[in-house]
Amino acid sequence: MQIGIVDYGASNIFSVLRAISFLGAKAKIVANPEELKSIDKIILPGQGSMGSCINNLKKNDLFESLKKALSEKPYLGICLGLQVLFSLSEESPRDKGLNIFPEKVERLTKKGNLKIPHMGWNQVEFKKDHFINNDIPNLSNFYFVHSYASKKLNEKNIFSQTEHGEIFNSAVLHENIIGVQFHPEKSGDPGLKFLKNFIDWKI
Amino acid sequence: MSLTARIIPCLDVRNGRVVKGINFENIVDAGDPAEVAKRYDLEGADEICMLDIDASYQRRSTTLATVEAIANQVFIPFTVGGGIKKIQDIEVLLKSGADKVSINTSAILEPELIQHASREFGSQCIVVAIDAKKEGDSWSVFTHGGKNKTQLNAIDWAKKVADLGAGEILMTSMDKDGTKSGYDNELNQRLASALKIPLIASGGAGALEHLVDAIKIGEADAVLAASIFHYKEISIERVKQELLKNKISVRSNS
Repeated sequence: MQIGIVDYGASNIFSVLRAISFLGAKAKIVANPEELKSIDKIILPGQGSMGSCINNLKKNDLFESLKKALSEKPYLGICLGLQVLFSLSEESPRDKGLNIFPEKVERLTKKGNLKIPHMGWNQVEFKKDHFINNDIPNLSNFYFVHSYASKKLNEKNIFSQTEHGEIFNSAVLHENIIGVQFHPEKSGDPGLKFLKNFIDWKI
Repeated sequence: MSLTARIIPCLDVRNGRVVKGINFENIVDAGDPAEVAKRYDLEGADEICMLDIDASYQRRSTTLATVEAIANQVFIPFTVGGGIKKIQDIEVLLKSGADKVSINTSAILEPELIQHASREFGSQCIVVAIDAKKEGDSWSVFTHGGKNKTQLNAIDWAKKVADLGAGEILMTSMDKDGTKSGYDNELNQRLASALKIPLIASGGAGALEHLVDAIKIGEADAVLAASIFHYKEISIERVKQELLKNKISVRSNS
């Protein structure tokens, strides 16, 4: 079993690679459609803006092949890797996402003295029991850094929610596809457990 | 649910070893950086900060190896500072495993660096560190580890770098650093109310209540300390209990 970490220029792919290697799984960086075909599971880490993510994926011919792979392989999208699953984001409305979820990603609302970006450790309230959150205490803290989030979503796709002045969907779910707004690779024990469960997940 | 206050232990590293010393004198060896970082992680540190204290010497590859050794074992946010002068310095640190870089003197010598770096890598990984000392009613900024005084006012400078794209401010009070008499809450509070980005308070931690006050009175989002954690005077766990008692939310480490 080999996990492919999709490289489209985001700076945190190595953190994810380090965490997966630490957990004893085989992982490699994938940067083109052929490499994507050769791996069993996909992780799409993300940092930066939605528009640059989509454009970089397209530039490397990864957008269409990723769309195809999403119908068959287990997928974990981290941060922008969650956001790109939606139809579009307010951050770059002209760039169409992978459209697994027809809803859109919206900017977090500035409320009182709360700071945007939402940055730091916050509680994740899991709404569903799933193989992936097995053995992770509900309301564990995970590490977040983002300004945009999924707020509206079909209830069956909401895996977890978190509050930062307002409630947003901190993890989303659709069959073999999981997206997390937090960074499991930087979230200490619960984060490593989450990644380990993804490694062991069989669909 | 809300963001938790962050406790950040800082490792001073020289030539691949953690070192301790007052004002960089009488430096003693204090362990292997990856082992110390791992210990802090287990104790519940919310992030790790590493300061390369002899970055100006020709030991860059040692620094990068240290960064990598820590990043291979510790899976919480990791900031590295010291000797960052150009975009490529940031790039290699991020590739070696840093999540954020802390820039001090170079930000003053070349403010565009902050702008370029935040565009290139995102604001979330650019921390601007400021060393400040109170003079009359305001605080002046110093460079080169506190050696050279500038004409900059600390609060104005912090606002400026935030506008340039810095993601966080790491404020060290030179008046308080090493005194163990508490953080400069007056400076931090003024800064917090002027800033829209997170503030990390540094300099002066000596007792439990200092860390509580830095958050309650100084309104800092995070507190950084080196020696109290290093010499095990206070454990990170104990700090978190005290914060909880004061109704400040913290990350539980279970």
